[in-house]
Amino acid sequence: MKINFILNDEEKTVDIQPDTRLVDLLRERFNLLSVKEGCGQGECGACTVIIDGKAVTSCLILVSQIEGSIIWTVEGLEKSGELEIFKKYFKKHGAVQCGYCTPGMVMSARALLNKNKHPDREEIRKAIAGNLCRCTGYNNIIDAITAIAEEGGFGV
Amino acid sequence: MSDLKYVGKSIPFKYADQKIAGDLKYVSDLSMPGMLHLKLLTAGIPRGKVKEIDTTRAEALDGVKKVYTFKNTPRRPFNGYYWYRDQEMIKDEVLLTDYVRHVGDRVAAVAAESSETAERACELIEVEYEKQEKPILDLEEALVGGDALHEKGNPFAEREFAYGDVDGLFAKTPSELIFSDKMETPKVHHAAMENHACLAYPEPQGKLTVISPCQLIFSVRLIISTLLDLPLNRVRVIKGNMGGSFGAKQETFLEPLAAFVARDLNRPVKIFFNRRESILATRTRSKILGKVKTAVSPEGKILGRDIDVIVDAGGYTSNGDIVSAAMAKKISRLYRIEHQRYHSYSVHTTTPPGGPCRGYGSPQIHALTEVNLDRAAAALGIDRVELRLKNLLHPHEKDLLGGPDIGNARIIEALEKGREEFNWTRKKKANQKSGRSGRYRRGIGVACATHVNGYYNVYPDFSGINIRFYEDGSILLNTSIHDLGTGARTIMAQIAGEVLEVDPEQITVLEGDTDRSPYDVGCHASRGTYVIGKAVQQAAVKLRELLLEETKKLAKNLPGVKPEEKLEVVIEEGRIRIGSDHYSYQEIISRIQLENQQELNVNYSYHSQANPASYGAHFVQAEVDTFTGLVEVKDYVAVHDVGQAINPLAVKTQIDGGVQMGIGMALMEEIDFDQKGYPLNTNFHDYHLINAPAMPEIRVFLIEDKEPHGPYGAKSIGEISTVPVAAAVVNAVNDALGKFLTTLPLTPPRIIDALY
Repeated sequence: MKINFILNDEEKTVDIQPDTRLVDLLRERFNLLSVKEGCGQGECGACTVIIDGKAVTSCLILVSQIEGSIIWTVEGLEKSGELEIFKKYFKKHGAVQCGYCTPGMVMSARALLNKNKHPDREEIRKAIAGNLCRCTGYNNIIDAITAIAEEGGFGV
Repeated sequence: MSDLKYVGKSIPFKYADQKIAGDLKYVSDLSMPGMLHLKLLTAGIPRGKVKEIDTTRAEALDGVKKVYTFKNTPRRPFNGYYWYRDQEMIKDEVLLTDYVRHVGDRVAAVAAESSETAERACELIEVEYEKQEKPILDLEEALVGGDALHEKGNPFAEREFAYGDVDGLFAKTPSELIFSDKMETPKVHHAAMENHACLAYPEPQGKLTVISPCQLIFSVRLIISTLLDLPLNRVRVIKGNMGGSFGAKQETFLEPLAAFVARDLNRPVKIFFNRRESILATRTRSKILGKVKTAVSPEGKILGRDIDVIVDAGGYTSNGDIVSAAMAKKISRLYRIEHQRYHSYSVHTTTPPGGPCRGYGSPQIHALTEVNLDRAAAALGIDRVELRLKNLLHPHEKDLLGGPDIGNARIIEALEKGREEFNWTRKKKANQKSGRSGRYRRGIGVACATHVNGYYNVYPDFSGINIRFYEDGSILLNTSIHDLGTGARTIMAQIAGEVLEVDPEQITVLEGDTDRSPYDVGCHASRGTYVIGKAVQQAAVKLRELLLEETKKLAKNLPGVKPEEKLEVVIEEGRIRIGSDHYSYQEIISRIQLENQQELNVNYSYHSQANPASYGAHFVQAEVDTFTGLVEVKDYVAVHDVGQAINPLAVKTQIDGGVQMGIGMALMEEIDFDQKGYPLNTNFHDYHLINAPAMPEIRVFLIEDKEPHGPYGAKSIGEISTVPVAAAVVNAVNDALGKFLTTLPLTPPRIIDALY
């Protein structure tokens, strides 16, 4: 079936099996390799993307569900320049180790900042509750997101 | 410390930008033209002999290239732990088995044009078993039951380490001064976020190249070469970018299969596991069942200790014997104990194999001994920190078991620092006041721990380094390091940069590639910073000497210099001074190349000179909800004796990550099985990790008192950071409840069971 959506600020139309998972569409058709797969059941958050403003695990979404949606991945934030502030503070606060969970973390953080400009640490913890990380113990990631929120410039 | 320019600085990790942007390709992201996807059919039953495998329907599926079983793959047994030639060990694993020993065992594999096709074909393979045999799950039963999963039977290994007169001591110690515990630690999934992956492809002249996110490229090469009868120079193994390991990717078991199929079909072949396969078909933290008996004087001096352990190796031997020796070697490196014995049996069970896992047995053995010490402290009415302080080793004190010098051991300072920062005494009084009543009960816990710095005197422990100055002043540092995501490349650049007075940004650090990099025994045993880092430091010193030597030759020919004039040549702040003139590296190195016709290139091989102990003291405040059995960690202080932090932020992140893993082991992480041997949790839906809301803030403090043989005085942190955690958390929960719970993890049902 044909599906239309906006991906990283570009209009797209694909002809595809409706039961294809979004993670596969993004990785295989569009080569968006920031979208990682860690569990395939929506439990680890490595495949998190933003759909219509919300952080969503793309392994649980079928392409038939995305007609007319606005989808963002880290590659889109890179293109729009928004990723710079994430790079700056994720690096500064040691929020990146192996990096496999990082793009998903960035997308969850970005979705949070879209609706809450000044989240406290507890709100940040909740926003990334679905993003598992085995390397960092999360606190450095929370430090980074706090610093990004403080510098501001996002959403609402 | 202020004289250090790059060491001791929290420099951001190399490649962090690429990781954030998703530009860094992990092995699971790689693809090649003509690449086939190899999907494994793993066993759905715990145990049974394969009677027949019917692959015809799978083979008929469009897009399937070939189906593999035990019938058409090499039968030579191996052990994924094999890392140097002629190493003695039990080899009982094959690429694809005809006898299933655990759910998840490798039964067949399908090579297909797409991963979906390979997966569908796997579902079409029909496996008939002779009969489903009885599982082996209970460790004590396994020991005496006479049921053999392998030829050697159970137990397949026994170890004893002892010194002093343990029997004599216990015979004369009154029973009220002997404290016993029995503890079970869980089979834990490493949970690296990237599932296991590897890519193998054929090259001209019968050569095979494998890209693997591994920890020992030379071990992967050795095992492939042995199984496929290829000379070492026909196998090339490249360390690929890795989404975490924690020991899960230390052993070799997938790469030989991918390499075999790549050769067989003359096509690139990729394996990329899903989470279920990573949990069931790789390695786990070995479960142990331990008993400990400790004699303590009324004043709190530990007089002697007797430890008995059963190690659950799972379905295959892997490191199931070696990990026990590793546990034994920790018992004499923390406290001064004059009489001690450690005895162990290792058994096979019908569960996924144990293997290397961050700490390599240390978290398990410390859980047993540190929880037991709390029992002694409670019975004797001695403060738990005080009891430990009375017995901890002093710097350079002897390891009575005969292990290497413990070095500049600063555990006493670490424990004292932790007591102060945690406010131990105040928290303890507050707890005593509130008593053990009410729904929410708070407790505090402490644990001390020790771990290693490499393999000195036990195994080969050397590292080759190639380091080159380019003519623009930048540096190529060619190592066999495997960056597991810990920032190892950044650490190496900081060390080399410090010696050569070059910004680490200007230093490219290469990871292992068996064809291109010098030999190193691998990134395990916490030897990265301490051994490889020292090798880098020494190699950089040699390069610095070579630069000066060649500059001196050059100086004679500089314009305006008289031949008899002896000019001083020195390096100052990253520049070269000849007499009173200053030159950049770039100017000098270019001229060395042109005029001396010499490349500034050093090959250097270093072997370790010692294996000091690293230490940590962790303090935990936990709150138990006595209605639900849920535990929340409220406060956490971690103090580590690291010699010198090369990169303090990297050290902090290691500790935070180590704590995350350890709390999981204490409270929730366990690959569990039903009575028939089927796993109960095969994805993150039912195998839970500590997530962000459950993770406490960690207050980290470092004791930095230099270790003689470490690079700039540094010693290890990656593994030790997770060693005391489970013990400290359990001690805090036990303190809250006034109990001595010893079956880990302390899940809500176990806590509720203990309460009511």
